[in-house]
Amino acid sequence: MVNLRDKVDLLVVGSGAAGSVFAAEASAAGKQVVLLEAGPARTPDDLVSSQLWARRLKWGGAHVEEEGNHQVGHSFNAGWGIGGSTMHHYGVWPRLHKNDFQTFTEFGQGLDWPLQYDELRPYYDRIQSSIGLSGDATQERWRPPGEPYPMPPVPVFGQGRLLAEGFARLDLHTAPLPLAVNTIPYRGRPACMYDGWCDAGCPIGALGNAQTVFLAKALKSGAEIRDGAMVTRLLTSTGGQRIEGVEYHSVDGVLHRQYADVVVLAAFTVQNARLLLASANSRHPRGLANHSGLVGRYLMTHPAVSVYGMFDAETQPGLGPTGGQLMNQDGYDNKLAVDNAYGSFQWIIANAVKPNGLLGIANNRADIYGPQLKPFLQRAVNHIGVMTLVSEDIALAENRVELSSARDAFGVPLARAVHNLGKSSAALVAHAMEQGKAVMDAAGAREQWRGPQAGMHIMGGTVMGSDPSKSVTNSYGQSHDINNLYIAGPGLFPGSGAVNPTFTIHALALRAAEHLLRNWP
Amino acid sequence: MYSSPQRRRVLKALVLAYPLVSGALLLSPAQARQRKLPLTVLDAGEAADLETVIEALVPGSAEAGAVHFIDFQLARPAVDSLLMLRYLGVPQPHVDFYRSGLAALAQHSSERFGKRPSELPASSLDQLIADLIADDTPGWSGPPASFLYFVWRSDGVDVTYGTEEGMAALGTPYMAHIRPQQVW
Repeated sequence: MVNLRDKVDLLVVGSGAAGSVFAAEASAAGKQVVLLEAGPARTPDDLVSSQLWARRLKWGGAHVEEEGNHQVGHSFNAGWGIGGSTMHHYGVWPRLHKNDFQTFTEFGQGLDWPLQYDELRPYYDRIQSSIGLSGDATQERWRPPGEPYPMPPVPVFGQGRLLAEGFARLDLHTAPLPLAVNTIPYRGRPACMYDGWCDAGCPIGALGNAQTVFLAKALKSGAEIRDGAMVTRLLTSTGGQRIEGVEYHSVDGVLHRQYADVVVLAAFTVQNARLLLASANSRHPRGLANHSGLVGRYLMTHPAVSVYGMFDAETQPGLGPTGGQLMNQDGYDNKLAVDNAYGSFQWIIANAVKPNGLLGIANNRADIYGPQLKPFLQRAVNHIGVMTLVSEDIALAENRVELSSARDAFGVPLARAVHNLGKSSAALVAHAMEQGKAVMDAAGAREQWRGPQAGMHIMGGTVMGSDPSKSVTNSYGQSHDINNLYIAGPGLFPGSGAVNPTFTIHALALRAAEHLLRNWP
Repeated sequence: MYSSPQRRRVLKALVLAYPLVSGALLLSPAQARQRKLPLTVLDAGEAADLETVIEALVPGSAEAGAVHFIDFQLARPAVDSLLMLRYLGVPQPHVDFYRSGLAALAQHSSERFGKRPSELPASSLDQLIADLIADDTPGWSGPPASFLYFVWRSDGVDVTYGTEEGMAALGTPYMAHIRPQQVW
């Protein structure tokens, strides 16, 4: 039995960074909006300060099979519950740079974006004002044009000061990290307390995320959020020209059909591609929005490595935002600066760390065990310093999301994410590691080591572009094939750049939502 | 919603609590172990081997109730699990991972030393762990040995140092916004 739901104006699948912006803008414009969220509802009281409890904020849906020499790490990067990945994100919000948008034209690598930085800049500025960013634009010598940050930067604690000295001794520069973290009360939300629990969720609301800003706005304007709503299929009209709605299962096992004038698919990179492919029908035998055959293609992740040092001085590593206190983007704009390598990279400096957890102190020295472990931890919790490399990936068609032969509990094929890192990208990471080692030495680290290399953030798979034969959507995320289907989120990115993507996701979503409202299909 | 001046609060969050009778009594994993509460998923042999290895990796983890913690997490719905394994791309049910890993461990120990891990003297246990780290495990049929080492060591760290008491033992403040359950 199917429960047929009344048609609404806008149906948004996914309540994270992108979906929340669409819902807020459309509901404020008077549209009837329903959001479907696969995971559970959450309140601030659910956000317990614990690296263990934080695990419930990460992906809890169907298993994603992964292959390749540099897997994207879906289970760690994807969120679960209202607010999506923003509920556990670190709030690091740098902007893409101008040449990130035209890597093929300028460097013969990857794909060009169908828009330029200057077109996105006003949306960066407006999102920055809405959500509140802290930082100091005057110190970001590498920052593209934009309005100053509305809040002063986060304070710099011991490890940040030491590492900044290390950069300076090598004639490298640091600047306050731009963060979606309140340093002063801002628009009804309090200032941060700097106790390093960002990725366990922020119950006081100092961290800007979907729940604190855009979902709150959407709810105030009358949007409805249905949690525990697992979308399993997108439905098209008989002729296949329009999307009519979706099928979803609620937690009580009931199958629903929700119809809408417009559907926004904002279920994050891997699940967006999976749903489009799994919704194939006679009119769209290769999957929806897939006339180009590129749904799932150009999957990307940022190669990331943390570098650690042990210092004689007190470093206060448990204090400050998890995302870090400072940044360095020297050399970002020359993607050909390193022989046999390609791309940009940045350092995010002085991340707050706790003893346990995947990125915690103990796991970054997995070789220490037995009687040596406790003395190491006792020393490290007061004397460790850390900085994290975020490096660029190249959009390669062979890196992809595809459907597995295995299926989930609803009979939907699982996603398989295949990602290999190219040689020139790997060479860039190797170069950056040498720089990181030099910085730690210059900062006076007694000993130093690096953590494992892993995928940070997941992008691509439904790339935007100007040519319908070479992309899935236009620059607004509107499907080239089905004009009342919008796709949102980092899956649209034709290039990764080397910056954390959440700011760009918001800016793109705001631009797209306004386009949708001006051109209601 | 976010303007409350009470910015650090104590909430009865059931972070690591081990329910003896639902809603009537909550025990920490350490208390559950101390009271010898029966395990739900792991059998006695598996539990003894797991406790032996994790204690060797993270001293103090046995008394902290690492095995009761793991057993409880394996017994609850996957979506509620607090095990770090859920970050690592291992398909559910995670009991299969632990069980097959423990079986492989027991077999390797038996073939190499003629005894189960829980029966090994300290010197042999040290060598067993060295084998895991180096993946020096001919004929191994479970999850990769070095990966098991990483996961089990992390489980031990979670239970021993991922708590208010554990962090206090390391000399660093916990600084909770919302404190985990206190019935440790």
